[in-house]
Amino acid sequence: MTLATFPASEPKPSWTRYFSFNTDAKVIGIQYIVLAFFFFLIGGLLAMIIRGELITPEADLVDRTVYNGIYTMHGTIMLFLFIFPVLNGLNNLLIPTMIGAPDMAFPRLNAVAFWLVPIFGTLLIASFFVPGGPAYSGWWSYPPVSVQNPLGHLVNGQGMWLTAVALSGVSSIMGAVNFVTTIIRMRAPGMTWFRMPVFCWTALAAQSLQLIGLPALTGGAIMLLFDLVAGTTFYDPSGGGDPVLYQHFFWFYSHPAVYVIILPVFGIFSELFPVYARKPLFGYVYVSLASFIIVGLGLIVWVHHFFTSGVPQWMRNLFMVNTMLISVPTGVKVFAWLGTLWRGKIRLTTPMLFCLGGLFNFVFAGITGVMLATVPVDIHVSNTYFVVGHFHYVIYGAAVMGIFAAIYHWFPKFIGRMPYEGLGKLHFLLTFIGANLNFLPMHPLGLMGMPRRVSSYDPEFAFWNVLASLGAFLLGVSIIPFLLNMISSWIRGPKSTHNPWNAIGLEWLLPSPPAEDNFGEHVPVVISKPYGYGLGKPLVEHQAEIEQALTAAELQESSR
Amino acid sequence: MTSASPQKPRFTLLSMLGLALLVLVLVALSWWMGQQAYHWLPVQASTAAPLVDGLFSFETAVGTFVFGGVVAVMIWVVLMHRAEKYDETDAEPIEGNTKLEVIWTAIPFVLVMAIAVYAIRVNTSLGVLGPMEHIHQDNPAEEIGGYPGDRLPAEAIEVVARQWSWEFRYPAANVSSTELHLAVDEPVTFRLVSEDVLHGFFVPAFRLKQDVVPGRAINFNLTPTREGRYRLRDSQFSGTWFAANQADVVVESGDAHAAWLKQAEKLPLQSGISDAVDEYAARAKKANPGWATVPPAPPPQVNVPGSNNLPHDA
Amino acid sequence: MTTAYPTPTEPKEHTAEHEKHNLTGFIIFLCSESVIFLAFFSGYALLKTSALDWLPAGVDGLEWQMPLINSVVLVSSSGTIYLAERAKARGSIWGFRGFWLLTMALGSYFLYGQAVEWSGLEFGFTSGTFGGTFYLLTGFHGLHVATGVGLMTLMLIKSFIPGNYDGGEQGVEATSLFWHFVDVIWIILFLLIYVWQRS
Ligand code: HEA
Ligand code: HEA
Ligand code: CUA
Ligand SMILES: [Cu+2]
Repeated sequence: MTLATFPASEPKPSWTRYFSFNTDAKVIGIQYIVLAFFFFLIGGLLAMIIRGELITPEADLVDRTVYNGIYTMHGTIMLFLFIFPVLNGLNNLLIPTMIGAPDMAFPRLNAVAFWLVPIFGTLLIASFFVPGGPAYSGWWSYPPVSVQNPLGHLVNGQGMWLTAVALSGVSSIMGAVNFVTTIIRMRAPGMTWFRMPVFCWTALAAQSLQLIGLPALTGGAIMLLFDLVAGTTFYDPSGGGDPVLYQHFFWFYSHPAVYVIILPVFGIFSELFPVYARKPLFGYVYVSLASFIIVGLGLIVWVHHFFTSGVPQWMRNLFMVNTMLISVPTGVKVFAWLGTLWRGKIRLTTPMLFCLGGLFNFVFAGITGVMLATVPVDIHVSNTYFVVGHFHYVIYGAAVMGIFAAIYHWFPKFIGRMPYEGLGKLHFLLTFIGANLNFLPMHPLGLMGMPRRVSSYDPEFAFWNVLASLGAFLLGVSIIPFLLNMISSWIRGPKSTHNPWNAIGLEWLLPSPPAEDNFGEHVPVVISKPYGYGLGKPLVEHQAEIEQALTAAELQESSR
Repeated sequence: MTSASPQKPRFTLLSMLGLALLVLVLVALSWWMGQQAYHWLPVQASTAAPLVDGLFSFETAVGTFVFGGVVAVMIWVVLMHRAEKYDETDAEPIEGNTKLEVIWTAIPFVLVMAIAVYAIRVNTSLGVLGPMEHIHQDNPAEEIGGYPGDRLPAEAIEVVARQWSWEFRYPAANVSSTELHLAVDEPVTFRLVSEDVLHGFFVPAFRLKQDVVPGRAINFNLTPTREGRYRLRDSQFSGTWFAANQADVVVESGDAHAAWLKQAEKLPLQSGISDAVDEYAARAKKANPGWATVPPAPPPQVNVPGSNNLPHDA
Repeated sequence: MTTAYPTPTEPKEHTAEHEKHNLTGFIIFLCSESVIFLAFFSGYALLKTSALDWLPAGVDGLEWQMPLINSVVLVSSSGTIYLAERAKARGSIWGFRGFWLLTMALGSYFLYGQAVEWSGLEFGFTSGTFGGTFYLLTGFHGLHVATGVGLMTLMLIKSFIPGNYDGGEQGVEATSLFWHFVDVIWIILFLLIYVWQRS
């Protein structure tokens, strides 16, 4: 047994490191998350304009060209600049600390991947200011509309959009290579595959999807860019091209992309329910493996996004059944979480509330997803607000709520201070009510036949649209307590101990915030499965000593 | 707390009764929601509509059952299994149960398969043509079929979609219009073409939708079953005036339809409806007209412009 | 303040492990990269099978003899790079450099041959989907060949750093893996474009 300085009494690092090319995964993680929320505000502001326009039937708030640019940029920003970066931020914070690695496998590549985000983000935002405005053909950018280029300039919104999306792809691939390598090669001694926390399983599954899917989109986008600027005719029927080919490329990636989003959120649910129900995760092995069944199925369902574009009957039936089968592994997870909650000792903390609300919304969204999967119903509601309702329920209602849960849960670990419970609960309440008020009315609208992507609509749709807009504004308000909470608790929130939630996991055996190289050379040896709540078995060798050391250090710190 | 052998869940008579009651309530609720589902949809105006609505109602019922079950458990645990104040201990560690895992893999599988079988049946009887097999412009006789009763279409209508107007041509009667007129209970074949970008042919009251793909001529069949005035909406984003690219569909009796055609043939060609053209002209006068746009195609020259601002049934 | 902190039972030698990551990461990257080619290939096949007139007016097929010679050159370079690695494994650094240089020469010859072929073609990038996909596929592949030659140059220079290649070098392994990858892609591409001419 050797003596080590612990926790490292290094000088408090300067805050300016968050604005530098830093290779520490924990710094990069926070950089990702903060930047992502900056773009979330911009994307949210655009959503407020969308809902402002749609509160009346006429196209009266903004010009139609402006509306089209705004909804396109809303979708693009939310996906490529908010949700993927924020999830990569969580990956950066959680993967190394959960598996006991000092950092990512490729720290410099990691930093490069991050710094590409502000670069393509700036490019995308800059497209608002070029002549002709930003891209306006939706986040799908289907040709021929996307190659129409009315001004004929070489530098145009659509071209910038494609460049930004391509750069985002490069960044995501760099990230994915890094995360997968780290998980495969850098686990702590004793952490076998089936002792790995579920978040790491889901991250591994999600990042594999990125690796398989993204290149197809990149290939398709390169061809679109050539059609736009070089005059090729890959997708232009007048030159022998085929616009539906693009749809295959686009959705071959963009369907799996939705599982890239939701899988880590499944990971978050699986981490948090055991902590706040004080029980082991029900059916750990099934939950872990279900992620990979979802990956496999998720790769063979992409056609369900264009059932109406001219697909043979056999293909429609095949892709319909594939899509619906995803409910089975997903159901396994949902029931496992219910099994975890069952007869637990539930604590309704802020993170727990966000998880419960997220699960509620997710099951609702999954059911509308199954409805969309069935071809006859999809034919009626495809490209209507029913689809918009479905995916905002799952993306905002489940994924973003799950991300909020994660932020409240791990904030003490990585910032070292506790967020305020009262503000957190207020945030939850406003979010839950706002999201349901915002997105539920979209379903009747879609069933009645209101198309999406419209800046004006027939008066019979007004009632539900007003409700949706009110819900949206409530969501806009809901972000205020969140921002207040984050800023004030970061600055002067109460100091957190190393394990404020009494949770089990390697990251909770580190001081809050952890030292730069996490465990350094003293990586503990994992000796049991994760989530051993109530089992009374230690997670690692010498657990008691480690905890004692941490507590002693905290006592000294606070007495100073 | 004995952690050596995790206790089996206890199935007392009372809990079994409670479970049975819950299932009963859920089934009743699901059935009721399934009935409600019909009211969320527009009027049924084609042979396809009752089939689609039946499937949707069934899915609503199944969905209610699943959602209700999950939410009931969530509410129960939040109400009944909350930790006491200051209770810092852990709950009884149940790590899993293979029998349960099998059951709750099987239940969704069976439910989903039931939906799939139903949907495939509807799909087949709808016979919405898989247009990829029908891109060619040759012998139309091989492309018929696909509507209940298997009657030959009485009428073939060419639908031309543009940025941003709809034009309907009746080649047999030598008539063109920007308002779609159909005879009730008569099968009709559309030939969908686009002159520029993707559009979508969507009539909610018919529950049918088909993208119009440039470079392809897509044949598409339906049979209207209810007289009235309905909306046709562009359903595949097509640029600036996408939202305004709507037209009216008038379903009338066979006699009225024949009379309309006969009268229309005599009318001289004139500019049809194109809201985009009107708005484009108004926009050009504005000091700050917004971002660049593709100019709208000139309004189609038709016998009957029709109207698109009369009250409609759906 | 110092606290007693238990060391793990198996202290791990960290830098040695880091080495291994590079290859793992690179293999993962290559798997991902192959999907772009897969996308282009399937796009090519789809456009070709659904085209009414595939070849632009005045073009009746591609000349295949010169590309075949080019292919033989490229495929044999997979052999020479293997020999280079064998030489290195035997400890013969000059043998390694020789075969390595030969591989680079073969790769460069391939690029030269492709440039000659391109300049003699009577159709361009914008000559319908045929022209578009032809230049896209061969160009994108050519870019990979050029990258491969660049990587090899880098590795060759690094081989002159004393002691650099003593413990087996990951960069060499990765480059050679990349080169085999580029070759396999070419074989598929050749079959698709030059051999499958009649539909
Ligand atoms: C995180 C994102 C996310 C997730 C997880 C999902 C999940 C699912 N989605 Fe969704 N979807 C989107 C995001 C997402 N989707 C987006 C963004 C779009 C639109 C993009 C655009 O057009 O712009 C879209 C569009 C979309 C369409 C295309 C509609 C159209 O354009 O016409 C379809 C059709 O099949 C679909 C289906 C499904 C299904 C079946 C699931 C399934 O994975 C759901 C499975 C879950 C459950 C079913 C609930 C839990 C299960 C149980 C409790 C078991 C018992 C259940 C039953 C027996 C039913 N989605
Ligand atoms: C992660 C993904 C994500 C998220 C979080 C959201 C969040 C929201 N979205 Fe959106 N949305 C998409 C992804 C997302 N969306 C996509 C992919 C599309 C499809 C695009 C397409 O068709 O191509 C879409 C489309 C879409 C439409 C359809 C547009 C159309 O078809 O015409 C609508 C309409 O209501 C909408 C609304 C909203 C609302 C009200 C929110 C709310 O949840 C937002 C809540 C916002 C906040 C809480 C922040 C509030 C900010 C402020 C109050 C201002 C402060 C600002 C500053 C200081 C700068 N979204
Ligand atoms: Cu890097 Cu271990
Ligand atoms: Cu999908």
